[in-house]
Amino acid sequence: MNQTVVSYLSQYEFYDFLLALFKNNQSLLSFVIYLVLALAIVGMCATIGGLGTYAERKISADIQARIGPNRVGPYGLLQFLADGVKMMLKEDVMPFSADKMLFYLAPLLCLTGVFATLAVLPFSGGFIMTDLNVGIFYLVAISSLVGVGVFLGGYASNSKWSMLGGMRGASQIISYEIPVTISILAITLLSGGMGFGTIVGSQGGLPHQWFMFHNPFAFIATFVYFVGALAETNRAPFDLPEAESELVSGYHTEYTGMRFGFFALAEYIEVFVVCGVAAALFLGGYNLPGIKLDILPIQAVQFVIFMTKTLVLYYVVIWVRWTFPRLRVDQLMSICWKYLTPIAIFNLVGCAIWMVVFNGKSIAEILLGSH
Amino acid sequence: MFLQFLFISSALLTIACSIAVLITKNLMHSCVFLLGALVGIAGLYATLGADFVAVTQIMVYMGGVVILMLFAVMLTGGKDFVSRAQNLLGLPASMGNKWTYGVGLLVGVVFLLTNIKLISGITMNVAGQPSTQTGSTVNQIGHLLVKDHVLAFEISSVLLLGALVGAAIIARPRKHN
Repeated sequence: MNQTVVSYLSQYEFYDFLLALFKNNQSLLSFVIYLVLALAIVGMCATIGGLGTYAERKISADIQARIGPNRVGPYGLLQFLADGVKMMLKEDVMPFSADKMLFYLAPLLCLTGVFATLAVLPFSGGFIMTDLNVGIFYLVAISSLVGVGVFLGGYASNSKWSMLGGMRGASQIISYEIPVTISILAITLLSGGMGFGTIVGSQGGLPHQWFMFHNPFAFIATFVYFVGALAETNRAPFDLPEAESELVSGYHTEYTGMRFGFFALAEYIEVFVVCGVAAALFLGGYNLPGIKLDILPIQAVQFVIFMTKTLVLYYVVIWVRWTFPRLRVDQLMSICWKYLTPIAIFNLVGCAIWMVVFNGKSIAEILLGSH
Repeated sequence: MFLQFLFISSALLTIACSIAVLITKNLMHSCVFLLGALVGIAGLYATLGADFVAVTQIMVYMGGVVILMLFAVMLTGGKDFVSRAQNLLGLPASMGNKWTYGVGLLVGVVFLLTNIKLISGITMNVAGQPSTQTGSTVNQIGHLLVKDHVLAFEISSVLLLGALVGAAIIARPRKHN
């Protein structure tokens, strides 16, 4: 069966103690563990999403030689809480001719799609909610719910700006899913499995053992994935669905208060998720160099390693946003279909040939002659 | 216990959303309810231990087909299809008259009886046992696709390529001469 966080915890003694506490009701205990961890992970990622807005402002301020938020809390750190309170207190306005049901549903679909991906994100060797055999495939599939949410948000608002933004968003997400999925497929080929445990487990802690440096094709696939992921999360330079200079703010123009907050939160958490996936697929994930022990403190170190890689990528995403100008719609589509998709297919075929010709060895193994 | 919970919630979601698809008068809402029904079916697959099929269901329908339908409905004027006309049963008139309902009922009954006859032999002996299969179905599906069913696999991929090229040809800008 799939390895889950419950089956991981059950190898320790305190699990028996907990089991006795629950009067040997195995399924109830599993349920409680899942519930607690799910709430913890969702809470943690929501905090990261909130802090993402702070980081975005602070980093953009740094790039533009400003100071940024510095009033609320130390270094302005509590700015996101103030924003959250402001959004909750705002009036919940709905356009008169909006499609009521879809208007309410759209932000929830966005948020559900993003939170559902957290179930397979490998924070550390043990603390992955469930290591599905089809983990990465599940993640790609369930995150397409965000596209539906964006599109419905644009449609239901019954406004020209929202409609254009929603259509752009949906077409962009569908298009860029293809190079991203093919790049992921190339990595699946290298690791021989779609579960995150298998993928991360077949890499090592040191850079030459990462899939990014496994062969030249995987190296290109890393960048294809990263560009595609930027576009899938509607981040600049691909933020056409909410292009504020043309579409006011795109698909969430008509949303106020916390409904708008849901869209914003979904976007920031999705950036965290795609950065985490990039770290797990290409940058060795939570692997710790050299140590094969499996005790609880090691898990904490693995968690820190994974978070460090992810947050470095998060920084790069924000850095890219405040460095590059926005693309035009036709440029966006030609980048996807004329450049990224052919390159991704080339990478896939290249990885397949590499695996056959060099018997699955990485470039470092061939050069250094190690096994 | 968890499997039962998953089964009951997926089944209820599928049934409720399927009925809602039929009785709602707004075509856009129908599409969204269809999304719910398809997710419920994915849950049913997951209950049966077919993880790969469940995820493929989500991938294909949620990520592709439903968005495509939403696009098509919206571009052809989804709101104009809101039907106000009703027949005697209070249902939308576009759903048919008494003849269509009668034929539909007859077909449904025949189909139901055939199905009961077919699956009675299977369900009699199982007694509500969940899938005994452990491990992944991905390996088996992969082996079957490239060994036993390789011809069907290749033919369908050629068919999809043809559809792709055809779509590109239909959508390309025409030269005026």
